[in-house]
Amino acid sequence: MLLWMIQCAAHDNAANHATARKKGQFAAIVLANTQICREHFLLTLRLREFPASEPGQFVQVLCPPPDVAVQSAEQAVAGLQEVFWEPGTRPPRFHDPDFLGSQPYLRRPFSIAGRRDDPANAVSDIDLIYRVIGKATIRMSHLVTGDSISILGPLGNAFPVPEATHTALLVGGGVGIPPMIYLADKFQRAGIKSIAFVGAQKADLIPLHITGDVGTQASSNVREFAAFNTQTVVATDDGSLGNKGFVTQALEKFCESSAVSQGVIFCCGPTPMMRATALVAARLKLPCYVSLEQPMACGMGTCQSCIIKYRSGSAEDWVYKLTCKDGPVFNSADILW
Amino acid sequence: MNISTSTAQTVAAAPDLSVQIGQMRLANPMMTASGTCGYADEYADFADLSKFGAFVTKSISKAPRKGNESYRVIETRAGMLNAIGLANIGLERFISEKIPILERMGIPVIVNVPGWCAEDYADVAERLDQELPVVQGIELNVSCPNVKNGLSFGTDPVRLAELVAMVRKRVKRATLIVKLSPNVSDVAVTARAAVEAGADCLSLVNTFTAMVIDIEKARPMLANATGGLSGPAIKPIAVYMVHRVYTQVAKAHNIPIIGMGGIQTWQDAVEFILAGATGLAVGTALFIDPAIPNKICDGLRQYLARKGHGSLREIIGTLKTD
Ligand SMILES: Cc1cc2nc3c(=O)[nH]c(=O)nc-3n(C[C@H](O)[C@H](O)[C@H](O)COP(=O)(O)OP(=O)(O)OC[C@H]3O[C@@H](n4cnc5c(N)ncnc54)[C@H](O)[C@@H]3O)c2cc1C
Ligand SMILES: Cc1cc2nc3c(=O)[nH]c(=O)nc-3n(C[C@H](O)[C@H](O)[C@H](O)COP(=O)(O)O)c2cc1C
Ligand code: FES
Repeated sequence: MLLWMIQCAAHDNAANHATARKKGQFAAIVLANTQICREHFLLTLRLREFPASEPGQFVQVLCPPPDVAVQSAEQAVAGLQEVFWEPGTRPPRFHDPDFLGSQPYLRRPFSIAGRRDDPANAVSDIDLIYRVIGKATIRMSHLVTGDSISILGPLGNAFPVPEATHTALLVGGGVGIPPMIYLADKFQRAGIKSIAFVGAQKADLIPLHITGDVGTQASSNVREFAAFNTQTVVATDDGSLGNKGFVTQALEKFCESSAVSQGVIFCCGPTPMMRATALVAARLKLPCYVSLEQPMACGMGTCQSCIIKYRSGSAEDWVYKLTCKDGPVFNSADILW
Repeated sequence: MNISTSTAQTVAAAPDLSVQIGQMRLANPMMTASGTCGYADEYADFADLSKFGAFVTKSISKAPRKGNESYRVIETRAGMLNAIGLANIGLERFISEKIPILERMGIPVIVNVPGWCAEDYADVAERLDQELPVVQGIELNVSCPNVKNGLSFGTDPVRLAELVAMVRKRVKRATLIVKLSPNVSDVAVTARAAVEAGADCLSLVNTFTAMVIDIEKARPMLANATGGLSGPAIKPIAVYMVHRVYTQVAKAHNIPIIGMGGIQTWQDAVEFILAGATGLAVGTALFIDPAIPNKICDGLRQYLARKGHGSLREIIGTLKTD
């Protein structure tokens, strides 16, 4: 399995250099992989000739082999592991309790959280922000600078761009925050004013750098958004940072108390949170675009696993759409929540 | 060393990967497995599809089908379960929207046909056979474990023989392939039934009926409760089944086998060929790397050259068991 993954990565670049594609398979080099809060990491990858991408799009990551150096000597039963790095050469972090080696098999989808291009050298750096929750993300947390992984992408559609006079309300919950950072970058370039609303269960689960007092109002003390001239309202379920309660409540409060002219909501997060945002948008009569998450086997529109119910025709009528290909971004009014 | 002549020599000496499957001549044995590659060119950005030996479509039914509720897939160790429920756009949209794309791909096309009664299969197969020359093969999905009753054709040799005989009468031109279910106690029994009823080729294996449980909710993970297991987890069983069908049925009747189940490297491919497969399909592994069929061809050529074979056909079914 390990050998096979290395072969994949080595083959990818050669296959892609020939033509300028809209998407493809690429070998990516890890520039940095740093922990930004209790369970979130920022992974920055360098790719050659990576096609143009837009906020809302995602990549499929082929996860690296396990770092068995984190296992104790008793656990590292001889012969069971495929690879064994010298203890100490890799930082021990999260441990996979399934130490007998249940490898993640399929790729895992992650939203593009940021991108910087160096056109002269045909090199692009992309950021992924991921939460460590299972076998693949545990293995990703063991990546170190210089490692190579295989990336498929960019996949899916993009958030639409509102008119210059509109105000973009970027609503991100937990692992839905990353695409909002990329979106803030794009809207700043397009001259569209944005305000970010970010929420998490607790302060230490916000995958962002807090540089000062965030209070309960919009502030410039969230580094990732401030970098794109975007103020941020913070909410945590337990009140450990910013507003106490759900980010949707903070959004509604903000829209009611301040005169947001022609707001357009852009939202990504857990499904209940996106459903709640869609209701807020309907109440406030604001357009709302959501980036949906569904279990994905392929990400390329072939397996039909990532379905959502999409309104079509009369009120109760619906069709299945594919989140990976027709989405992940949809108008919230089109979804049968 | 003169580089151009050495390249020319390598090309001249490259072992021949072409195979014959019924009426179809394939430049190489590698195909896609139904349901893992979409309708036509979905993978065009990720792999050179014109280098595949053949393209096998998703199951196309007479009427469009929405399929099962979510969750439809769940990963397992070395594989996955799926219960898509044969979601597809239906024959009419397939003909108007996808056939033109398939015609441009320039490789033999095999359409996978599911059904809920014998007429469903026969009607779709007949249309494909009579109206669409690009469709060179018709693969009957008699083994889909996800749809009620679908099980019965593939697991009951009597009903299977009736079905194949009926479709056989109405398919005059295209190569008729029967895709066997592995959810039987002896796959040679259903294989024999299909061949004696007129199948030109057998493909195996489809997925194994399986279940994953969400331990927090104490419920099945998939909305359909059960799903079909695919991927490397099933490969050794699939290799065994191909060998059993080859030795018990296919070899004597001179019927080619399309082998599949967990193939993702050229080494996997060689195992299936030695066991008796003439064609090979890659399914689940395409989700990770759609270019795997092309990579396997490279590996097969090197293996054959190293072993001193001029053609892949020389090693089909040459497993030594003495
Ligand atoms: C379009 C898209 C974009 C995404 N973008 C991001 C992003 O930017 N950042 C990010 O962090 N994530 C993102 N995700 C989610 C991310 O893909 C998943 O978090 C990731 O796939 C998890 O992989 P894993 O192997 O680490 O977890 P897995 O091992 O797959 O486990 C997932 C969860 O299921 C639970 N589980 C597994 N088996 C069972 C069982 N039998 N019973 C009960 N529970 C079980 C695990 O405990 C865990 O909580 C995105 C998803 C999509 C679809
Ligand atoms: C997501 C998915 C969908 C599938 N859909 C079909 C289908 O529509 N018709 C069919 O005959 N087989 C279908 N199959 C079975 C495959 O064609 C193949 O027989 C099986 O997956 C074993 O090969 P693999 O291990 O390489 O995937 C499907 C498999 C998967 C994983
Ligand atoms: S993930 Fe396979 S179709 Fe969307």
